[in-house]
Amino acid sequence: MRNTKWAVVVGLVALALGAGAAQGQQLSGEYKIGVLEPLTGNLAVQGKLHLEGYEIMRDLINSRFGGVMGKKLVFATGDAVDPTAAASEATRLAAREGVKIITGTFSSTLCGAASEAAARQNVIYWETSCVDPRLTRRNLKNVFRTEIDGTGFGWYNIEFIAKHLAHRLGKKTNELKIAYLSEDSSYGQSVTESARQRAKQEFGMQEVAAEYYTFTTNDLTPVILKLKNANPDILHHIARDQDAILFWRQAREQDFQVKAVVHAGATGYGNPGFGKAFGNDANGPFALLEPGPGLIIEKFRPDGQRVERAFREAVKAKTGSDVLAGGHQLAGGGLWILKLALDAAKTDDLDRFRAAVMSLDLPVGSAVNGWGVKFDETGQNSNARVQHYMLQWQNGSLVTVWPEEFTTNRAKWIPLGPWDQRK
Amino acid sequence: MSGLALAAVFFAGAGLAPLVVRDAFFLDSLVLILIWGTCAAAWNVAGGYAGQISLGHSAFFGLGAYAAALLTTRWALSPWLGLAVGALVATAIGLVIGYLSNRLRGPYFVLATIAFSQVLLIVGSRWRAVTAGSEGIPVPFRPGFWTLGIADKRVWVWIVLGLAVLAYLVGLYLERARRGYQLMAVREDEDAALSLGVPARRLKVAAICVSAAFTAACGALWAQYVGFVDPFYVFSVDLSVRFALATIIGGLGTALGPFLGAALVTTVETYLRAQFGGIGAGLVGIYLIIYGCALIVMVRWLPQGLVGWIAERVRRRAVPGAAS
Amino acid sequence: MHALPQLIASTILLGSIYALIAVGLTLIFGVMRVVNFAHGEFLMLGMYLAFWAFTLVGFDPYLTLVVSLPLWFAVGWASYRLVMGPIVHASHNVQVFTTVGFSIALQNLALVLWTADARFVRTDYYAVVVRIANAAFNVAQVVAFGLAVALTAGLFAFMRWSYTGKVMRATAQDRHASALMGIDTDRVYALTWTVGIACVGLAGVLLAPIYPVYPTAGLQFVLIAYVAVVLGGLGDMAGALIAAVLVATVEVVGSYVIGTAWKEVLYLLLFIAILVVRPAGLFGQRGAEALGM
Repeated sequence: MRNTKWAVVVGLVALALGAGAAQGQQLSGEYKIGVLEPLTGNLAVQGKLHLEGYEIMRDLINSRFGGVMGKKLVFATGDAVDPTAAASEATRLAAREGVKIITGTFSSTLCGAASEAAARQNVIYWETSCVDPRLTRRNLKNVFRTEIDGTGFGWYNIEFIAKHLAHRLGKKTNELKIAYLSEDSSYGQSVTESARQRAKQEFGMQEVAAEYYTFTTNDLTPVILKLKNANPDILHHIARDQDAILFWRQAREQDFQVKAVVHAGATGYGNPGFGKAFGNDANGPFALLEPGPGLIIEKFRPDGQRVERAFREAVKAKTGSDVLAGGHQLAGGGLWILKLALDAAKTDDLDRFRAAVMSLDLPVGSAVNGWGVKFDETGQNSNARVQHYMLQWQNGSLVTVWPEEFTTNRAKWIPLGPWDQRK
Repeated sequence: MSGLALAAVFFAGAGLAPLVVRDAFFLDSLVLILIWGTCAAAWNVAGGYAGQISLGHSAFFGLGAYAAALLTTRWALSPWLGLAVGALVATAIGLVIGYLSNRLRGPYFVLATIAFSQVLLIVGSRWRAVTAGSEGIPVPFRPGFWTLGIADKRVWVWIVLGLAVLAYLVGLYLERARRGYQLMAVREDEDAALSLGVPARRLKVAAICVSAAFTAACGALWAQYVGFVDPFYVFSVDLSVRFALATIIGGLGTALGPFLGAALVTTVETYLRAQFGGIGAGLVGIYLIIYGCALIVMVRWLPQGLVGWIAERVRRRAVPGAAS
Repeated sequence: MHALPQLIASTILLGSIYALIAVGLTLIFGVMRVVNFAHGEFLMLGMYLAFWAFTLVGFDPYLTLVVSLPLWFAVGWASYRLVMGPIVHASHNVQVFTTVGFSIALQNLALVLWTADARFVRTDYYAVVVRIANAAFNVAQVVAFGLAVALTAGLFAFMRWSYTGKVMRATAQDRHASALMGIDTDRVYALTWTVGIACVGLAGVLLAPIYPVYPTAGLQFVLIAYVAVVLGGLGDMAGALIAAVLVATVEVVGSYVIGTAWKEVLYLLLFIAILVVRPAGLFGQRGAEALGM
């Protein structure tokens, strides 16, 4: 009994000392930014992940990287459940919380409204995820985006198909038959249309089918039948979560055979939930994402390695998972670049901040996710610097398979064999 | 009597507030209260006075929003023109809905209106050539009055206030004029009204058309204010429910009710969102549970809405000891 | 044309799922004249029940189906007493908004408790199919089909030939006259609601091995169920079943021939067309819609 009590006391003291030591640098004062994400409604899954990513990165920045401009970074969060709320919450964060920078908002339907409201309030809008290409083309000086837009996603997907899959399938790019299937929201449409364009114009791939559906659909069998008739080599399928699960089950039932399935983004095939739903039966499809397991962090530059390692540890500590969710990586990655920008600018005054952002020029491998930084005058971080990776479901989880020089894993099952032989 | 006084206080307050308060968030909430209030008042013309409960009014709202957005982005025309075009198109659609209302009653009509708004949603989200599909339309901000590019929220308050007062006056007219009494007679018992020579069918259609036009006008203004038209939002059933809800909470079939209801709903919603939305990745969604329960409670214990409740209090005080 | 067998199979299987949901709905709509906007949420709750029973206790959904029957009756009865009972005689809009509020509250309760992640009940047999003549029949869906038919037949027989069924039909036809005949209409409504909710809750359990489970999962079925209910005629069980298959036909054929992007438009336009041409539905009483019945 006595020993236990003493052990507890000693333990507590050690804990307190340890916590004090971990506090590290003293941060003088606080710097508040607004974080706007959809925390309720249909988009809540990803919104929640993004917010979590922001919070993990914020705590990391405060505890190990000297805060932001020497101050402790704190958040005021808002729930952008729909476009009206997005605009309203953005206004609230600016007017009531007094933030000068608002970051978020994940969805293409929200970022337009939120960025407009931010512009009216003269605050900086730092987008980390939404893919609507028009966000940065409205001549708004306060809008910046760290992630590539929808055209970038489509661009990378076709890059993978043309440069990696084609020769492994033993075909020239203009011999490839590609079918496009997509959920019909803003996300699906923008990625699919840009993929279609690049595939046709740059590589001459043969488009054998293109179908959109509502992601809350109850049945995809008719579409699968049509796809079977079209007999594609590659299925370019942009899916949300529910429809990916439904499609995968029904495709298996219908014994739909295709040589490769390619997706982009953190929903559907890019969501860990897909693996939880199917276990080993999930093996096979590719998803364009931020880097996952197998990543050779040593290929990054030193500053990139440092922050990437720290971020991965922090995510593991918070969620217990070695696998980062796409939402974590986009939010964390975007917030890290914001820190770099603020530390460079030393102010949130729009003109000086903008100048600092434009002057950032970091090669691939310098930041979280192995990203580089180079913004163009529309405020968009360039495609070439925002390196994206192709992951594949193997053994019931996502692993990084491309670009090959950055990973220890290799893409398997090209072509995909029968359904029960992808072990 | 007290109704008019209360309305005067409400609208005058809304008009004067921008002169006193500079806080952008307060003004933003005021603009939204007035927009939703006008939509609710418009819904009230069809649902409250004419008794045609519809849950598809977002169809008109979306039409107005798209009209304004398309005219601005494709043909660089003034959104005011878009407002007019939207109102006209909505009136035409209102004729169709009105026809349906003459064939269907009660739950059938409700379902038909929902189906209608969903058809428009799908058309809006698939017709990429015209509406940019699901990606929606970002509405460009071109500073100026004729382009409705107004950064100053105070001016927005006054613009929307104008429309709101107009909608209120329509309600007032229906409460005082003979046409209004005829419409309410149709609501209470259509067959009896018909037998008295009231042109029930035409009145119902007219009510729906007026309702449609005002709702579309709101949609157009909203599009310019928020700056982004997303088909899944502007044609959603949630939005239709919002219009009806505000009216019911405020007082169905009263002129001021929709505005009071919109004020309460918007305020509570914004407050709850600010309180609970900020809790972090944890307890999101709690405020919507409260919202849903409040709906059930409100509708059960205060069926005459706020206006009815206030009128009741006033009456009781005026006649002490009177049985309620 | 070799796709025809599969199209037929999909239509029947999909239609039976819609029928499962529509049958309970037509009962409630037909007898109580209440548009239950929360119907889809009970479906969703059924799906979650099956998921958690499977994940936490290892119950196969079919076991959950049998075991949870008394639970559903309790849920139906409780929700009637707490929420529906007091407003059953209230005005139309009160009823609409009560169920709408209920729907919002339930959806978000699920969101808070279980997050928005899409889950899946991956039974050992989830991908087992029976192949007949070029068509694949998913086993779980075949079971759902069988149960839908059995349920419809059972309820039909119950309504037609049992005393309680007659009492319910009488109340549906004329509430006041029934009360004058000594029928306790409140108990009739309570029973109707309970049976309707039990039907849809059990349907949810049946759907769990087939569809992903998430808080707004009910929404995608509920509007279609209403189309089926109106098409089949209020309160008509067999009508609901047949109409459900018809709606599924429009969906499946429309998807295949015209394109999946437009299939919702097709059945919505069908719905509006029915309402304009024959609002009482295929089997309902002519003129019922003009009386708001």
